[in-house]
Amino acid sequence: MSSAVRIATEEWRQWLRSRLAVLSLIVFTILLLFTTVLTTLDAQEARHERLHQQVQAEETFLAQPDRHPHRMVHYGHYVFRTPPPLAMFDPGVDTVTGQSLFLEGHRQNSAMFADARAEARTGGFGALTPAKLYHLFLPLLIIALGHGVILREREARTLGPLLSQGVSGVHLYRGKLLALGGLIGLLSLPALFSSIAASVLGESLLASTMLYLGNLLYLGIWTALTLLVSIATRTRGVALGVLSAVWVLTVLVVPRIGVTSASATLPTEGKILTDMRMNDDLRKLGDGHNAADPAFNKLRADTLAKYNVDSLEALPVNFRGIVASTSEKELTETLNAYAEKRMQRERAQASHLAAFGWLSPYLAIGGASRNLAGTDLETHHRFLREAEVVRLDFVQGLNQAHIEKLSYIDDINRNNGEEGSKRARVDASTWQVLSDFRFTPDSAQERLSRATTKLTSLALWFVALLGIGLTAARRLTP
Amino acid sequence: MMRELRFMLRDKAVWVWLSLAFVFSSAAVSLGINEVRQQHTEISEQKQHDQVEREVTLAQQADWGSAAYYTFHITYNPPSGFAYAAIGQRDVSPWKHRIRMLALEGQIYETDANNPDFALIGRFDFAFIASLIAPLLVVLLLFDLRSGEQVAGRLRLIEASAINPQRLWWMRAGLRSGALVIALCVPVIVGGLISGAAATTLVLSVIAVCLYLLFWTALTLYLTPATRTGAYNLTVMLGIWLLLCAVMPATLTQVIERAVPLPDGGAIVLTQREAVNDAWDLSREATYEPFLARHPEWSGDTAWDERDGFEWKWYYAFQQVGDQTAEPLSQDYRNGQARRDDLARWSSLISPATLLQRTMEQLADTDMRSAIAYDQSVRDFHANLRAWYYPRLFKHDEFSAEHALENIPMYLPSTKAPAT
Repeated sequence: MSSAVRIATEEWRQWLRSRLAVLSLIVFTILLLFTTVLTTLDAQEARHERLHQQVQAEETFLAQPDRHPHRMVHYGHYVFRTPPPLAMFDPGVDTVTGQSLFLEGHRQNSAMFADARAEARTGGFGALTPAKLYHLFLPLLIIALGHGVILREREARTLGPLLSQGVSGVHLYRGKLLALGGLIGLLSLPALFSSIAASVLGESLLASTMLYLGNLLYLGIWTALTLLVSIATRTRGVALGVLSAVWVLTVLVVPRIGVTSASATLPTEGKILTDMRMNDDLRKLGDGHNAADPAFNKLRADTLAKYNVDSLEALPVNFRGIVASTSEKELTETLNAYAEKRMQRERAQASHLAAFGWLSPYLAIGGASRNLAGTDLETHHRFLREAEVVRLDFVQGLNQAHIEKLSYIDDINRNNGEEGSKRARVDASTWQVLSDFRFTPDSAQERLSRATTKLTSLALWFVALLGIGLTAARRLTP
Repeated sequence: MMRELRFMLRDKAVWVWLSLAFVFSSAAVSLGINEVRQQHTEISEQKQHDQVEREVTLAQQADWGSAAYYTFHITYNPPSGFAYAAIGQRDVSPWKHRIRMLALEGQIYETDANNPDFALIGRFDFAFIASLIAPLLVVLLLFDLRSGEQVAGRLRLIEASAINPQRLWWMRAGLRSGALVIALCVPVIVGGLISGAAATTLVLSVIAVCLYLLFWTALTLYLTPATRTGAYNLTVMLGIWLLLCAVMPATLTQVIERAVPLPDGGAIVLTQREAVNDAWDLSREATYEPFLARHPEWSGDTAWDERDGFEWKWYYAFQQVGDQTAEPLSQDYRNGQARRDDLARWSSLISPATLLQRTMEQLADTDMRSAIAYDQSVRDFHANLRAWYYPRLFKHDEFSAEHALENIPMYLPSTKAPAT
C-alpha cells in the first residue's frame, strides 16, 4: 500500500471517529439526495406539462373555424420552452424568465408568469437545487472537514515525527489530497446520477459529462485551497477563519457585487421605455389596419402600377392584405432591431459579470453549469428568437391568405351585416400555416464552447492552487 | 467596561471583520441608492414620453373608440425612500405597466424584467448583508471568545477575577456585536438621510437589525463553550448558519408552494383570449348580457347602427366580458399569492433570517403586499378608465381631443414615497 493511500485511509478513520464530521456528512447527503430527487421530479413534470400545453396550443389554433384571416393574427398562438434534461441539475434562469410566450400580430410580448413572481418570500437563498447545493454550500463542508487535515497533525505534534520518519511533505500532501478527493468523489455521486439520468433522457453525453467534470473541478478548487490554508496557517481557528472569509467573499459577495456593477455600468432600459421610444419610429410606418393611412399612398400607387389597373377593386389581389403584410414586415424589422439591441445589452452585461468569474470560481462554475445545462441567458434569447420566427411565419402566412384568398370587395364589406361577415372569411385549412414548435437547447458543442472560458478559468485556479500547495508542502516543517 | 473596549480594539481580527462589515454595508447602500435613482429616472422619462405620446395620439383620432384603442397609460409604483436597503420583490414583480382600455388580463402580467442572470444570483443590498452576512460576522467575531482564552490559558484567571463571569462574557460579546451593528447601520442611516427615508423607518430597521444580531449573539455564546476548541465551535456555528439562513427558508418556500398551488398563469391569459376572440362570432346579445349584468345603466344604449357593422361600445363590452370570464381564475391566482405570503409571514416566526428579510422588505414597501397593492391600483385605474370612456361610447358623444387631454384619468401612485 502506497503512503498516500495509507495517509488517506488514516484521515478517513479520523473523520468517521468525529461525531461532528459524521453528522455534517449525513446532513449534506440527505440534503443532496432530497434536492436531487425533488428537482428531478419537478423538471420532469415541467417537461411533460409544457410539451402537453404546446401540443394543445397547436391543436386549438388548427381547430379554429372559418374566419377572417386577420382575426387569427390577433387570436395568436402560444409557445412554451420545454426545459432541457439537465434542468434537473440546474434549472437556471427558467424560474426567473417565465416559460410561455404569447405570439400575436404587431407585437413581441415578453415571457409571462415567472415562478419567482409568485414564490413565497422567505429570504435566504431561495429554492434549493442540486446546482445551488454544489456551488454554494458544498465548499463549506469541504472547509469544515478539510481545514484540519495538516493542522491536526501539527497541533497533535505528530507532524514532526511523520516528517522525520521519511514521509515527505509532498507525500503527506498527496495522501491528504487523496482523502479529500475521495470525499468529493463520494459527495458528487448525486450529480453523477443527474448526469446519467439526463443522458438517458436524451441529453448528449458530452454535455452531461462536462457538467459533472466541471463540478468536480470546482470542488477540486476548494479542496486544493483548503489544503493550502491547512499547510500555511498555524492554528485551526485561523485556518477556518481565513477559509470562511474566502468563501463569504467569493461565493456571497463578489458575484452580487458583479451583478450590481453590471447593472450600474450597463443599465438596461425597461421594455416599456424601449417600446415608447420605438413608437416614435413606428408612427412613421403607418397603421397596418388602415389601408387609407397616408403612409401607404406609395404602396398603393406601386401596387396599382404593378398590376396595371386603376382602382383597388380591380386588383386581382386584396390590397388590404398587402398593407397588412407590408406593415407587419416593416414593423417586425423595427421590433427585431430593438429586441436585438436589448439582447446585445444583456449579453454585454453577462460578459461584464463573467469577467468577475476570474475572481470568483463560484461565478465561473455557475455560468458554466447553466451554459452546459442549456438553462442560460443565451438559451433564453434563442427561445425568444425562435419564437419570433414562428410568430412572423404564421402572421405572414395568414396575411398571404388575406392577399390571395379573400377578395377586396368582400373584405371591405366585412362589417356589412351577417351576410357580409360570412363572406369575409377564409377556409379553416388556412390555419395550417402554423408550424410546430419544439424547443431544444443548442448542440452540446455549442454549449461547451460558451462554457470554455469559464471552465478554463476553473482549471487555472485548480492548477495554480495545486501548484502553490505542492510548493508549500515541499517546504513543510513541523 | 472601558478596559474591555480597549481589549477589543487591540484585537486585529475584530478590526478585520468590523471593517469588512462597514465596507459591505457602504457598498450595498450606495449601490442601492444608485439603483433607486435609476428607477426614478426611468419613471420620470416614461411619464414624459407618456404625455407626449398621448397628445400626439389623441390629436389623430376621430372618435372615442379609437381614442381608447390607441391611447396608452403609464402606471408605476415608485420606489419608497427606504427601497435602497431592500430591493425585494421589485426584482421579480412588475412595478410599471403601459396599459390601455383593452381587456386588462391580457396586459397586467407583462413583466418588464431585468437580465434574468441578475435575479438568479441576487442583489447585494442591505437586506442581504443584514440577514445573511451579518450573522456570519457575529459568529466570526464571537466563536473564539472563550475557547481562545482557554487556549491562551487565561480562562480560569479571567472567570475567577470577574464578579460574575457570565456577565463578563455577555459584555465582551455585546461590545463586539454592538460595534458590528454600528458598522452595519451607519451607512444605512447616512443613505436614509440622503434619500429621504422616514426617521421612524430608519429607527425600526436599526432595531430589527439589533434584535436579529442579539439573537445570533446569544446563540453563538450558548453554542460555543470553552470546553471545545475554536475550530470545533466555528464548524458548529457555520452549520447552524447554513441551517437557519439557507436550508430553513428554502424548506419553508418548498412547503408553502406545495401547500398552496397556484392556478396555471397561462390558463388565465388563455381564457381571456378565447373569450375575447369568440365574441366576434357570437351574437351581440351573448356579449351584452354578461356586460349589462355588471352595468345595467347602459341597458338602454346598446342600439346597433346597421349601416356600420362595427360598434366600439360592443368591442369594449366584449373586452370587459373577457376580463369577467377570466376573473375567477385571476382572483384565484391573486388569492394564492396573498395566501402564500400570509403563510410565509407566519412561518417567519420560526425562521429568524426570513423574519429579518421580510421586515426590511416591509419597511421598504418592496414586499409581496406592496406588489399586490400596486397590482390592485392598476386594476382600479383601468376600472376608472372604463368608467370614464363608457358614457362617451354609449352616449355617442362628440369626440374632442382637447376635452380628452384635459379630463382623461391619470394614474396616481398611492405612495408614501417622497417625490423626486
